[in-house]
Amino acid sequence: MMTAPDDTQPFRKVLIANRGEIACRIIRTLREMGIASVAIHHPVEARARHVREADETVEISGETPVAAHLDSGQIIAAARAVGADAIHPGYGFLSENARFACAVSEAGLTFIGPDADTIALMGDKISARQFAADHGVPVAPSVMPTEDLAEFTRQATEIGFPLLIKAAAGGGGKGMSIVRSAEELEGAARLAASEAQRYFGDGRVYAELFVERPRHIEVQVFGDGKGSAIHLFERECSVQRRFQKIIEEAPAANLPAALRDEICASAVRLAAASNYRNAGTVEYILGADGRFFFLEMNTRLQVEHPVTEMIIGLDLVRMQIEIAAGSDLPITQDAVAANGHAIECRICAEDPERDFLPETGTILHLDAPQAAYLRFENALDRGQRVTADFDPMLAKLVAHGPDRAVATERAIAALHELALLGIKTNIDYLARVLGHPAFAAGELHTGFVVQHKAELTAGEPDEATRDTVLIAAALGLRDFRDLILGVPEPHASIGHWRN
Amino acid sequence: MSRLQSSINTTSADFRRNEAHNRRLVAEFKAKQEAARHGRPQRDLDRLARQQKMPQRKRIEMLLDPGTPFLELSSLAANMAYGGESPSASSIVGIGMVSGREVMIRADDPTVKGGAWYPLTVKKIVRALDIAMENRLPVVHLCDSAGGFLQLQSELFPDRYMGGRIFRNQSMLSKMGVKQLALVFGHCTAGGAYIPGLSDYSVIVRGTGAVFLGGPPLVKAATGEDVTVEELGGAEMHTSVSGTCDYPADSEEHAIEIGRDIVSQWDRLPRWEAQREAPEEPFYDPAEIYGIVPDDIKKAFDMREIIARIVDGSRFHEYKPNYGTTLVCGFANIWGFKVGILANNGVLFNDSSIKGAHFIELCNQNNTPLVFLQNITGYMVGREYERRGITKDGAKMIMAQSCSRVPKFTVMCNGSFGAGNYGMCGRAFDGRFLFSWPNHQIGVMGGDQAANTLAEVKANQMKRNGGAVDKGEIDKLWDETRKAYQEQLSAYYSTSELWDDGIIDPLDTRNALGVAISASLNAPLGPPGYGVFRF
Amino acid sequence: MVLKLDLDGTVHTITILARRPHLVLSVDGRRHVVEGLDEVGDGSRALTLDGGPVAFARAGSADGAIIRLDGRSFALRRVDAAAEASAAGGGANVVRAPMPGTVVVVHKRVGDSVQRGETIVTIESMKLQMKLDAPRDGEIAEIAAREGEGFDKDAVLARLAAPAEG
Repeated sequence: MMTAPDDTQPFRKVLIANRGEIACRIIRTLREMGIASVAIHHPVEARARHVREADETVEISGETPVAAHLDSGQIIAAARAVGADAIHPGYGFLSENARFACAVSEAGLTFIGPDADTIALMGDKISARQFAADHGVPVAPSVMPTEDLAEFTRQATEIGFPLLIKAAAGGGGKGMSIVRSAEELEGAARLAASEAQRYFGDGRVYAELFVERPRHIEVQVFGDGKGSAIHLFERECSVQRRFQKIIEEAPAANLPAALRDEICASAVRLAAASNYRNAGTVEYILGADGRFFFLEMNTRLQVEHPVTEMIIGLDLVRMQIEIAAGSDLPITQDAVAANGHAIECRICAEDPERDFLPETGTILHLDAPQAAYLRFENALDRGQRVTADFDPMLAKLVAHGPDRAVATERAIAALHELALLGIKTNIDYLARVLGHPAFAAGELHTGFVVQHKAELTAGEPDEATRDTVLIAAALGLRDFRDLILGVPEPHASIGHWRN
Repeated sequence: MSRLQSSINTTSADFRRNEAHNRRLVAEFKAKQEAARHGRPQRDLDRLARQQKMPQRKRIEMLLDPGTPFLELSSLAANMAYGGESPSASSIVGIGMVSGREVMIRADDPTVKGGAWYPLTVKKIVRALDIAMENRLPVVHLCDSAGGFLQLQSELFPDRYMGGRIFRNQSMLSKMGVKQLALVFGHCTAGGAYIPGLSDYSVIVRGTGAVFLGGPPLVKAATGEDVTVEELGGAEMHTSVSGTCDYPADSEEHAIEIGRDIVSQWDRLPRWEAQREAPEEPFYDPAEIYGIVPDDIKKAFDMREIIARIVDGSRFHEYKPNYGTTLVCGFANIWGFKVGILANNGVLFNDSSIKGAHFIELCNQNNTPLVFLQNITGYMVGREYERRGITKDGAKMIMAQSCSRVPKFTVMCNGSFGAGNYGMCGRAFDGRFLFSWPNHQIGVMGGDQAANTLAEVKANQMKRNGGAVDKGEIDKLWDETRKAYQEQLSAYYSTSELWDDGIIDPLDTRNALGVAISASLNAPLGPPGYGVFRF
Repeated sequence: MVLKLDLDGTVHTITILARRPHLVLSVDGRRHVVEGLDEVGDGSRALTLDGGPVAFARAGSADGAIIRLDGRSFALRRVDAAAEASAAGGGANVVRAPMPGTVVVVHKRVGDSVQRGETIVTIESMKLQMKLDAPRDGEIAEIAAREGEGFDKDAVLARLAAPAEG
């Protein structure tokens, strides 16, 4: 229900420049705050959940649905046309596009996110890295690109081993190697240089410290844009496939308190130094030796923000909106307290048995478990076509528990119960990951999925399971049911009989 | 309805002797049945396999709804004809469930002379179609026949109930709105071509199915034209050019799948509402029938003991239990269906005949199907009984029974001799189905009586011619007469000639009647009415 | 009559053994007693199998069903006789013109292998374009159609090679 606008509301109407589960998530908070919501949609998603749930909708056009969602001019025009006073970009699409943030402001609207300058600063890997280093945030030691192999070797030896050596201009693994001792260094550098020359016409080589079995740790921060910043603890997103996160949790597993404090403090330092406004996430690589290095800063709401919400009990979207409207940070660092553990599973339309290739299909049945400790973030409908038009992520299942073990157990149970039929998904795969002893032990790193590939592969179902499945399938087939039920008496009672 | 109280002692010597005897008879019957069904020369089976054809019985099993009964009829037809070269009269006929509908299934047997029709094959097909008409049962034909067996054409072609009757019946069925489907698995040559031609629907298998009036050799001889089977009458031609067949099938399994789908489109014609209750197994073990039926046809037994092992819960409401006691009459349920049972407990007297006639009238009033359990030596003879009008009382029973509008079913439980056969709904009386037990014998009189009668006539003849009675010659005549007679009295001869709808194991009686009664309900009851009863 | 379902590339056979007093099914010859049949359809369901409760979710698809049981999803595909026959080389050998017209596109060449339902030629007739598909799996033995050329009703436009003798 909408309430009448009054002075206590930060905005009257907010346009959501996004779709799917995140659009629905933002609409929920807007509704709670009494702010009108506006959804945008390409014609192919005219009947989508976010369109139905929003108070108003605007159709946008584009050659592809994704192109429409990236058309900033059209979206800003839509926001103005419906009289919105702010735009929430969600994640992905235009959320980290500095020019979009700038254009929104120039159109007299509020961009719910950081300032365009901050987005630009953090959006450039080199400048972000430099900024971090300048403000005492550890960055992975590296040798700057050079063609001088002697100088290269000297600097590299200084960093220590192992080292990752690659072509400065490169990509695709060409000329890339891992060097574990000084003896190997020169040969590897020479090879990298010659391959770099051959493939890219640029003989410069580059090296950085290679973190073995790295963990992905990130810190949720909020800044008021006036130099104050807080953190809302860290999240661990080490379980990844094809370089994308599939399981995230908060807090990180087995992280020593001192190390956690150190990581979180460095993130706050970075946010404060950049006069960061609104929500952001500082991502780190954490080595087995406890050394951690800045990776990048995401200047937006993260996909995995619910795990933080579940342990600290705050609505991050509400905080974003209030801060965008000029409010101070709603909570002091001292008041931020974590309670229990939360785990998020990204449910994707993909085939884990075929290298996680995206799948398409139609959602024929959806039945999600419900519990106070569960969140099922989705915008799915029965009958919905899942196409290659958008990201294969279908939904997020988030479970909270008093500790990591209980949260894991609850997430597995919820995945088991979750019935999303009609399209291949990674649901069963995610349950196998959560059930793996190495996961339980918190032995996580970004190569987890590859390391445990064999154990994570689905086994053959046993005969009893197979028979049950076949019977369940058969009994629902209309003509097989007719065959069972359509036989009149006394034939049904006599049964099979030959004279 | 109260439960019958059995007085059978299953440990008695009589019981054990009877049981051994009857089990031997049933084993003999099953062995003959097995041979008729599966005993084929290897080369015929090999040829079938080479043509990638399934045996007909396998096709029938695929056609039927799984987990349902199939009542095969006349499995030993022609078992005593043609030197045994036409097992089951080269055809399979039975009633079963296809896509939830009761249908008559009729299949040729391509493993015997290319599925050629012998005279008794024709008789069996005509009977199958008669059953379909009487009970309004849709028919599925599984066609694979070379046509009439030419060597015996005079016995299968010209007369009223011969070859033409098949096609006449097909036409009548269609006119009545009773559907027919032909699945053409092999050749349908000559007359056989009209089976799909006169069916409402037909499916033909690519490669093996063909329909033509004359096959390529006949065409060559008649017109000199060289033509292949496929061009002359193959699936492609008939389904796309001539329109003789409707659906081409890519395999036999496919044809059956299409066939099942066609049947599932058929409307379910209303059945008349017979009184029916939830079925209940007999309280007494049906297997005890083996120990009850005596090892000698001349020995009497109480038919109530048989009834108790056929009907639901062994419950029986006996009508007029104290009157005309040689004919047991009463109500019972078989597989839930209310039936009126008439069973012989001895020779028919005046009172038992009148009671039977009256009970038949009650059942007709009550829309209750009739079940006759025959073990009859005839109506009582002798001066006293003729004076009391045994003939006119027997005539009353025959009249009441003949004119019944309710469906009638007859089981030959033992002997069926003389006019008792008529009163008890013998073959001539258009009962819907008639089954025989292996111990059954039928004739105007028993073998001994026939031999005695003929010996008596011969002796009188000798005396009349003035000579002495040659004891040796009389004995020889007696023996020969009895032997020849006995053979023709047997259930096997009876079933060979299609005087019944098949021999059944006594233990199968309940199921056979269940399927038969169910089938009969598809036809509406005729108008009530009788002829003139002689009082 | 039996039902054939393909699960992960293996075809399983299901049939009914009895309906009373309980439904008894055979799965590849193994006997199972089913109660609570009324509850079975699409959605989250439960039934009693061999005396024990079973909960699952089911969704019917165009040619089969998807079942979720014990935290695993299974896709089942129905195998019908026509498909089996097609795979075994059954089915018509020729592609015939359903009406007179002209050939618009010839999609396949002699020697190409085709699957049932794959388009071999597109024709135009009475201002209507239509695709003529392979009647079964097989190899193209002959293409009589030439793009732009006309043909009469029932003309053979393509022919499949006869299946190898097995």
